[in-house]
Amino acid sequence: MITTPAKSYVSNITHYASRLTPYASRITHYALRITYYVLILSTLTSCNNNEASSISFMVFGDPAEFAAYEQLVAAFTTEHPDIPIQLRHLPSQAEYRQRLATDFSAGTPPDIMLLNYRRFAEFAGQGVLEPLGPYLVGSQIIQANDFFEQTVTAFTWDGQLWCIPQNISSLVVYYNQDLFEAAGVPLPGYDWTWADFVTAAQALTLDMDGDGRQDQYGAGLEASLFRLAPFIWQNGGNLVDNPDQPTRLTLDSPESLAAFQWFVDLQIKEKVVPDAVAEAAESSESRFLNGRLAMYFNSRRGVPTYRTITQFTWDVAPLPIGRQAAGILHSDAYCLAANAADKEAAWIFIEFANSPTGQSLIATSGRTVPSLKNIADSPAFLDDQPPAHARIFLDTISVLGQVPLIPNWVRIEETAGREVERAFYGQATVEEAAATAINLTQPFFDQFQPP
Amino acid sequence: MKVPLSQRFPYQTQIRLFLIPYLLGSLVLIVLPALATTAIAFTDYNSLQTPTWTGLDNFRQLIESPLVRISLRSSLIFLLTAVPLRLLAALLLALLLQQKRRFFGLHRAVAYLPTVIPEVAYALIWLWIFNPLYGPLNFILSWLGLPAPAWLVEPHTAVAAIVIISIFQIGEGFVVLMAGLQTIPYSYYEAAKVDGASSLQAFWQITLPLILPWLLMLTFRDLVVSLQNTFTPSFVMTYGGPYYATTFVPLLIYELAFDFFDLGLAAALLIIMYILILLLVIGILNLVGEVRLSDDL
Amino acid sequence: MISKPKTLRVPSSLSAPANRQNPPGLTATRSIVKRFWIHTLAWGITATFLLPFFWVFITSLRQVGLPPPNTIEWWPTQPHWHNYSQLFQILPITRYLANSLLVIALAIPITWLVASLAGFSLSQLPRLWRRRWLIISLALLMVPGSAVWIFRFRIYQWLNFLDTVWALVLPAFAASSPLFVLLFYWTFRRIPGELFEAARLEGASAWTTWWQIACPPARPTTIAVIVLTFVMYWSDFISPVLYIYQPANYTLPVGLQILKQLDPTNWPYLMAGSVLMTLPIVLLFIILQRFFLHDFSLSRSTEQ
Repeated sequence: MITTPAKSYVSNITHYASRLTPYASRITHYALRITYYVLILSTLTSCNNNEASSISFMVFGDPAEFAAYEQLVAAFTTEHPDIPIQLRHLPSQAEYRQRLATDFSAGTPPDIMLLNYRRFAEFAGQGVLEPLGPYLVGSQIIQANDFFEQTVTAFTWDGQLWCIPQNISSLVVYYNQDLFEAAGVPLPGYDWTWADFVTAAQALTLDMDGDGRQDQYGAGLEASLFRLAPFIWQNGGNLVDNPDQPTRLTLDSPESLAAFQWFVDLQIKEKVVPDAVAEAAESSESRFLNGRLAMYFNSRRGVPTYRTITQFTWDVAPLPIGRQAAGILHSDAYCLAANAADKEAAWIFIEFANSPTGQSLIATSGRTVPSLKNIADSPAFLDDQPPAHARIFLDTISVLGQVPLIPNWVRIEETAGREVERAFYGQATVEEAAATAINLTQPFFDQFQPP
Repeated sequence: MKVPLSQRFPYQTQIRLFLIPYLLGSLVLIVLPALATTAIAFTDYNSLQTPTWTGLDNFRQLIESPLVRISLRSSLIFLLTAVPLRLLAALLLALLLQQKRRFFGLHRAVAYLPTVIPEVAYALIWLWIFNPLYGPLNFILSWLGLPAPAWLVEPHTAVAAIVIISIFQIGEGFVVLMAGLQTIPYSYYEAAKVDGASSLQAFWQITLPLILPWLLMLTFRDLVVSLQNTFTPSFVMTYGGPYYATTFVPLLIYELAFDFFDLGLAAALLIIMYILILLLVIGILNLVGEVRLSDDL
Repeated sequence: MISKPKTLRVPSSLSAPANRQNPPGLTATRSIVKRFWIHTLAWGITATFLLPFFWVFITSLRQVGLPPPNTIEWWPTQPHWHNYSQLFQILPITRYLANSLLVIALAIPITWLVASLAGFSLSQLPRLWRRRWLIISLALLMVPGSAVWIFRFRIYQWLNFLDTVWALVLPAFAASSPLFVLLFYWTFRRIPGELFEAARLEGASAWTTWWQIACPPARPTTIAVIVLTFVMYWSDFISPVLYIYQPANYTLPVGLQILKQLDPTNWPYLMAGSVLMTLPIVLLFIILQRFFLHDFSLSRSTEQ
């Protein structure tokens, strides 16, 4: 065996490297440029060998939601057999985003996609969406004022309407009626306050077998900026300084801090919400589903799953009211890709999906609160199925606030959300968390140039 | 007379032909995409528009970003804890289980088993085991009177948990070290015994030096593999939490690319990660210095 | 370059060679006490490694919806075997399973062929080229998976392979991983050159040499590569999400992700899903590791 000491091996490398150094930077630069140009070329000449005739429609959600979309597509195909729709389905939002990034980078995004209003501005700003406002104006079946104004505003950016809203959900309180009755606590009323809520939650947080660990919790909610926002608004505070041209988060204003403090006190002081360990061991939603948590904050998304509950009766209540009533908008919309091959045909599908027929179909899955005023206030949505007080979703629409439409809002929400979580589980004071959140999100605000 | 195909080409050419599928496949599926990603690192690319060249901008942004620094630090800490522990575990297992005793075949197979479990299932399994209230691990710990930490809920224990998971998966290293141990001629140990050396001395003076090249190779492979293997556990179990404690570099790259659609930054971070590994490898090579290595492979 | 001495036996080193005596080291004497401790330690290790799987299996049999147990239970009071059948109703698991199996049925033979041929080729090249290709392969090995996801998509799109099984199987044409090529390379290097010389003198082509001389002794390596390839394609959960459109074409790991989405802390179902995903591999491993234990010690078999 011939042996070569390690050091001389490395010195060989450095020897050759040093001989190349004068040229190294140039070589690297040119090599990278060439690859980059090849890349650009391939981006521009993206080969689309797929079925150009069918319109691709991409959705995400659990199997029940997917079934509803399949029904929608089937109904559309009976009415318009000449327009084939290819339905693509991803199990969760995470995979949905992965696909979108990959598809867009390949230059072949789905023709029609469902985007949340917190995310669509990034796509619109980059010019990859086709504004649907003009199509709506020319439509014979639906018009802008058929929809709830809040959803239309949510998808209006830079002066035009980009996507057609599908739903207008909001944050509500799902409660376990049986637990309330067992503890002798009055059911939540339409105008119950923060104090009422905390009292009820305290009465419903019980350690039934005396082992020092709570067996039943009064409430459960996700510690995120999106859940905190309505409470800030209810206390008279603001998320950002200027909703149309935000330059910073305003979590440090007195009203915002007070709301923030009340929010985290639910866990830290009142202990009506599972702590970090309990939440990791079993999620609040799971506890609610199994009858071990009295009140769970969620949007309309939860209804299809909750409808499978058989052991107890459940219903919804509006958010408890602070100094004023406020809620937070949740909304998704159908968006059309700018480079879709057949925009007219795609529009016909979008129009159908948001027509009274289409929205009624999706509403039967229970997943959505229809954005069409007539359908929302009809038996298609207000049917016999739980929740009995579904009307609450409609009554709260007038006080819904929305987060600002900035292209990188998601990063801001994510980053600030981690601080909210930190404060919620007692690892930082609200002042610290607010200051850090503002600090870390400042670069994202600075990146944003208003249109 | 027809000359058969196999005799129309010289032997060496035929041999070289066999390489073609592998090389072609690697070129198309590994080299080209990797080069493209490298080029992207110097651009501002969010998958929606064509990339625009920005030079070293991404790297500057990354270096200034506190999140990236935290993430690099977490990954480094993980490497510095996990890799030595893994090597130690692999060595101890190899020393113990290399022997020819009854049932040791079973023991060897079981030691290798965690390596073949699919990553997602493996992470889910440990997610349950580390459950702070209901997981079997904490039950056993409290039954033994030991402290039962909150594992994935606390920053330090979350990282420790992922280190523990990776230690169980040393099957590959364990096999390699066993192979290395078997190359040590038995006569050395006999001679040592004659000289009156204790078993510990025999280990220090004979086993360890002779197995060092194998250990070294294993270290390199482990560095590369451990850095990338933190992805699935941190993705499935904690998604970077609690509060960035397990936001290792691979997870951050994923987040940048698919949560925030900033592919340029993600690619730049990939390059940084690659350079990090290279530096570690060269650093270790220099540290070890005069180890006799063979280039007859 | 760092060496792997000639007597490397990659997976067959899971066994100790028959002609090897126990060396002194950690295990010095043969006293009964020492032997007792050694065996206890070994069994302890086996128990520790097996315990997680046992717990997972137990958890998968608990009733869905019950509060999780307060104490450790070694066997559920009422094993709910129907959790498994329920799983098949929640998700189209049989279809996912079939897809996964199809991918593997295609990937394994292709990987073996490409890796074995490439390894053989590398082993027969002159020394300088060997070194170069070795370094290249090692460099390829270090490329992280995340670097290739997005641009592989472009390539599959151009080849029109999206939403087909080939999008998942194509890496097999690159030997799935340079590691397999290296494994075969090291195995073939151990075969004495005289055998190949003799074959060449008789006029055998490279193909014949590979098939008849090189392959038979490389059986343990082949089996190792088969197992590792199986694991690789079985557990790949990024590729189906990126390259497959229709849910009917999804594979098993995506199913597990869907399950986790549906209810992130529904432990019985999640554990049942994990068991389903793990069981085939464990079974395969148990069946094939017998071949690992067969000692294909080349140095003995070629001694005249």
